Amino acid sequence: MADNQPTPQAVLQRLRRELLLQDASVRYDRTEIVRYGAFVGSVIECHDRLPRAMDHARSLIAACAGSGRALASGTVILADEMSLCKGRFTRSWHAPRGGVWGCMVFANTLLPQWRSFISLTAGVACCEAVREICGAPSCLRWVNDVLVGGRKLAGFLVESYTEALHGEEFALVGFGINVNNISFPSEIQGTATSLCRILGRDIDLTEFTTIFLAKLAFTFGILHHEEARDLRGDGFSGRQGNHLLLDRWLSLSDTLGRRVLYGFDVMTAPQYQAEVMGLDPSGGLILRLADGSVKTEYSGEIRYLE
Amino acid sequence: MSNELDFDQLLSKYKADPFTYVDIFSVHTGRVSFKAGVGQEVASAGGEWLQILGTALYEINRERNPRIVNAQVNGIVAHINSELEGQFVEAGVKLMTIKHPLKKKEIIEIILKDVLSLFPAPESAKYFFAIDIQSRIDKKGARAVTIEPGEEILTMSLMKRDTPVFYKGERGVIHSIYFKPGLSVGQGEPLLGVCAPEKLPLIQKIITRVKAEWDSEH
Repeated sequence: MADNQPTPQAVLQRLRRELLLQDASVRYDRTEIVRYGAFVGSVIECHDRLPRAMDHARSLIAACAGSGRALASGTVILADEMSLCKGRFTRSWHAPRGGVWGCMVFANTLLPQWRSFISLTAGVACCEAVREICGAPSCLRWVNDVLVGGRKLAGFLVESYTEALHGEEFALVGFGINVNNISFPSEIQGTATSLCRILGRDIDLTEFTTIFLAKLAFTFGILHHEEARDLRGDGFSGRQGNHLLLDRWLSLSDTLGRRVLYGFDVMTAPQYQAEVMGLDPSGGLILRLADGSVKTEYSGEIRYLE
Repeated sequence: MSNELDFDQLLSKYKADPFTYVDIFSVHTGRVSFKAGVGQEVASAGGEWLQILGTALYEINRERNPRIVNAQVNGIVAHINSELEGQFVEAGVKLMTIKHPLKKKEIIEIILKDVLSLFPAPESAKYFFAIDIQSRIDKKGARAVTIEPGEEILTMSLMKRDTPVFYKGERGVIHSIYFKPGLSVGQGEPLLGVCAPEKLPLIQKIITRVKAEWDSEH
């Protein structure tokens, strides 16, 4: 039996708490956001062990399609430990007991221009969950790495998957959050951390995962809410008409103004150094290079230089 | 994919007019104001990371959001639809033409594009080879790698969202790779040029012939 056992009911109950945070000064409707996002975690599979959650998700989607059904959008797959986790490119991801490892299956109904924002949702949700449960000073590094004290606490990767039988497109939102795991492979010893290491005590894994999934539901609700506003011609509901998700991302990030090393694969092929000027409306990173030219990057990754 | 090429005709065409004419279209709806004039020399984006913008060609203003569109190729402005100055245009309207001087390598690529099956970028994004394809390329070289319809060949990466790209086309070898890891590729631009294995000698003949003819006369 798995240790990490959040339930759909608990996630929904936690999501409802967002309604209590009504603020008359904001332009958005929390009730509508909660309604839009409530699909996240409506089904939760908890496993003791899996090779890789995304591969399991693909199998489930294909099996459902083959039997004339559709896998519920928002289905979450968790495992206490995973043996074949991977990050970007050919990087492996260490996923022993104690962490939150899994993925959320999203039947992609967003318009193409908002699909890039899916990657931002998981980082925002995790950062907010960490701050809420233990007050740890977590920050976002573009695109969606969650850092505490300059060390990586969590990483997220979105993989698209088109089911072969009906051509339905899914986004698989993969997450890896170091919670109670304290040992790391030697190559990331100096750059990784976990909540247990930071706080010096264990965190209730199920409670943390429940909060994270409720926050993920709220951020997906924001995506749909803002898309609906845009389609109605109402404009976005963030400050100065910004997209609300970008606003939240900016409020949680320490990326702006930093000197960074940029690369499509920054670990093996760093490309150039630059200063971060801001985010463009699509979430692209606006960088000023040493020669004064300004370039916006929509993929790749950064490392802080100072 | 053509089997027959009249080399003499092709080469004489490029020798007589070693240019390509690049039409520039409005990127979206809006009011147009030209920033370059006929006969003006324009530069493409430069710098190691293409961070230096090309020459400003036109500004398009939609709902008080002005956007400058810069040259992506170097050359001379050959024609401007000047009657559109200050007018509201739809997306995709031809605004101007740039006469771009061709280098030998570009001529080879243009001729090859008539012979190869081009696999275009589905979205503006960065691309890298799928792990299996990359390892086969590393072992044997791209031109020894045969790809099949339906095979996962690339990963499209945008804002840390990775999307597998499946090959649609005839079975063939990867002859030309038009993208570089780390640099964005625009939607519709070719990523790969693929040809049937038996066409490789024809391709090599084209390259050899153009190189020889061009080197002897230019």
